[in-house]
Amino acid sequence: MKRNLVIALLATLLVASLSAFAMAEQVTLRYFMWDPEFQQMEAELIRGFEAENPNIKVEMTALDPTNFWPRLAAMAAAGELPDVFSMSTGYIDTWARDGLLLNIQHLVDRDLDLDNYFYNVFAEDRFPNKETSDMYAIPYAWVGSVLFYNQDMFDAAGLEYPNDDWTWDDFQKAALALTIQSNPNRAPEQYGFWWYGRYSHVEPWVYANGGRILNENKTRIAIDDKAKEALQFLADLTNVHGVSMAHRDMAGMRQQDLFPLQQAAMWVDGSWMVDHVRTVAGDSFRWGIANVPKGPSLEPGEERSYYWPDSVGIAATTKHEDEAWAFIQYLIGANRPVETYMPGKVPIYRDIAYSEEWLQKDQQPGNMELILALGDTPVRTTFNMGWSEWRGYASTGGAGMNGELDAVTNGQQTVEEAIEKITRDGNAVLERYYPEP
Amino acid sequence: MRYGKLAPWLFITPTVLGLVFFRIGPIIAAFLASFTSWNVFSPPQWIGASNYVELFNSGTFWMILRNTLVFSLIYVLGVMVCGLFLAILVNNRIRAITFFRGLYYLPVITSTVAIGVVWSWILSPRFGVLPNVLADLGVHNLPSFLGDSRYALLTLVVVYIWKMSGYHMILFLAGLQNIPEEYYEAAKIDGATRWQSLRHITLPLLSSTTFFIGIIALIQSLQSFDITMAMTEGGPNYASATLSFFTYINAFVHFRMGYASAMSFVLLVIVGIITFINFYARKYWVETVD
Repeated sequence: MKRNLVIALLATLLVASLSAFAMAEQVTLRYFMWDPEFQQMEAELIRGFEAENPNIKVEMTALDPTNFWPRLAAMAAAGELPDVFSMSTGYIDTWARDGLLLNIQHLVDRDLDLDNYFYNVFAEDRFPNKETSDMYAIPYAWVGSVLFYNQDMFDAAGLEYPNDDWTWDDFQKAALALTIQSNPNRAPEQYGFWWYGRYSHVEPWVYANGGRILNENKTRIAIDDKAKEALQFLADLTNVHGVSMAHRDMAGMRQQDLFPLQQAAMWVDGSWMVDHVRTVAGDSFRWGIANVPKGPSLEPGEERSYYWPDSVGIAATTKHEDEAWAFIQYLIGANRPVETYMPGKVPIYRDIAYSEEWLQKDQQPGNMELILALGDTPVRTTFNMGWSEWRGYASTGGAGMNGELDAVTNGQQTVEEAIEKITRDGNAVLERYYPEP
Repeated sequence: MRYGKLAPWLFITPTVLGLVFFRIGPIIAAFLASFTSWNVFSPPQWIGASNYVELFNSGTFWMILRNTLVFSLIYVLGVMVCGLFLAILVNNRIRAITFFRGLYYLPVITSTVAIGVVWSWILSPRFGVLPNVLADLGVHNLPSFLGDSRYALLTLVVVYIWKMSGYHMILFLAGLQNIPEEYYEAAKIDGATRWQSLRHITLPLLSSTTFFIGIIALIQSLQSFDITMAMTEGGPNYASATLSFFTYINAFVHFRMGYASAMSFVLLVIVGIITFINFYARKYWVETVD
């Protein structure tokens, strides 16, 4: 009897200690993401991860970007950052500089087979040097810039569709032919093209001409001659040739609606707009995508594409580095369902990106592989600390470089005057972030 | 029942604590923050008066300060004139007057985002109702009311006045109904015209209401934000931005808390000066029924 009692006690102790051990191993990760639209699908992804990793539980919070950044900033100030969170190219340098993001280079080197990923895209998550420094976040998706064109309008004008041999002269001729104005007292019913000072409208042309907006170190505005040539080309499209609407005339409209509402025959913007065009235009017209035409001053070896990632990072303060990294590998890897990517946003994992489900050949534009090819070319961007301030982005989209170029399209100033202001005001911002040594 | 000397203090303690922690504390913190460089997620760094120096050397700041003063002046005068006009219109005992009072008040309770979207649609140069109707009538080449830096601020003020006139109508209506009818009857017997009654009875006896509305309208004008955000986002190139909007942008978009705090203290000083002048001038023009 006494012996049985001892065995029972020992067994109870064993079970209790095992349970305690299991409890101690249970880890809860907090994950903040900025796209509530995909919350449901992201939750399913998390359930899959939790099923494979029963010791890790993920608590997700989804906020739209307007609320996401103030909330995350407040959490950072309180030392309460979530373990894993979405990270923007526009903020990564500041967050890495301030020691808020975990350096994940050793984890990337240890665990990832880089051939499986669009590795060039990783560059934007490095700090401080975009080519040689360590990574502080990792992309789960990326987007590139493409030329959208309305095939019905091209057919009606008897024009050939844009191709990789197109020069800027070809583009301009097509834009002129596609602009229709039947009443000289009123604005054209149809514009050949649409652009304003927005980063995803302007930078692709600058890079297609081999130009630079920033200096080599990306610490100062230094608009070179090739960039000036690109800006002048764009300005002339509006002010000399009248093939693009002045910015002031699109007030009260969303810029992304002009192309799908067939107000403009061509438009350069980020590839994520594929989703928007599909949604707004439906099957009302046929359209396609092409590469941005190469500029007259582009020299061999200067080819740069403009693409940038949506990333996830790990808080430097996390107590669960291994679990957070395991979760991130799941988020960016082969397990992620293609449905969690907005059409036009490219999965960072190659097999998913090249899958039929992502390419969607049965839907317009039908040549999505064109976007994928961008990811294998060298990249150039203007993202740096203070970018949203000097470039003019989101709620300040009417200011900074954006605002100065808008004033050019409005005929209020010349390109030269705009460049002078962009350089003066932009460098005043950048001097705060990159003080002279 | 008698209360001890401590009792009044106990009663006001919750209010005092609320004031200290939720008003005075943040004001002091913001004042201190205005002398720092602080991006929220890193510890603030003391930089002395640099934020104020940068502010007063910034062309954008002076432009926005001018925008704020222009906006406030037009807004305060606008809601007063429109509010009084509407109040006189609805201060009648005619059929369906309640309906009209409700109708004029409707914009006040309408969502500002909805107002911003609808007005943008009305004024949009390409698809807007107004430019298209006028074009059909032969009026072409209208300016872009929201996209042209010369008109954007004025257009915004008009929309703000349209939205808030109903609110000030209610305040004026309360003031109008407080004026004894006998004054008007006596003036009528003396042969006064309607304009003379308005000029010599209504306006002087509404002066205390007008003073109150002036203060309220001034505060509203300096808080202008939501319709600006919905319609122009302060653009083009800050041409329609006011100080409250610019403070928000610097604090919560650029995360420059120190700079934004300095800006809010400049705003505080401006409000303080205008309020002081207003109270000082009050004794020269405000009359009461008594």
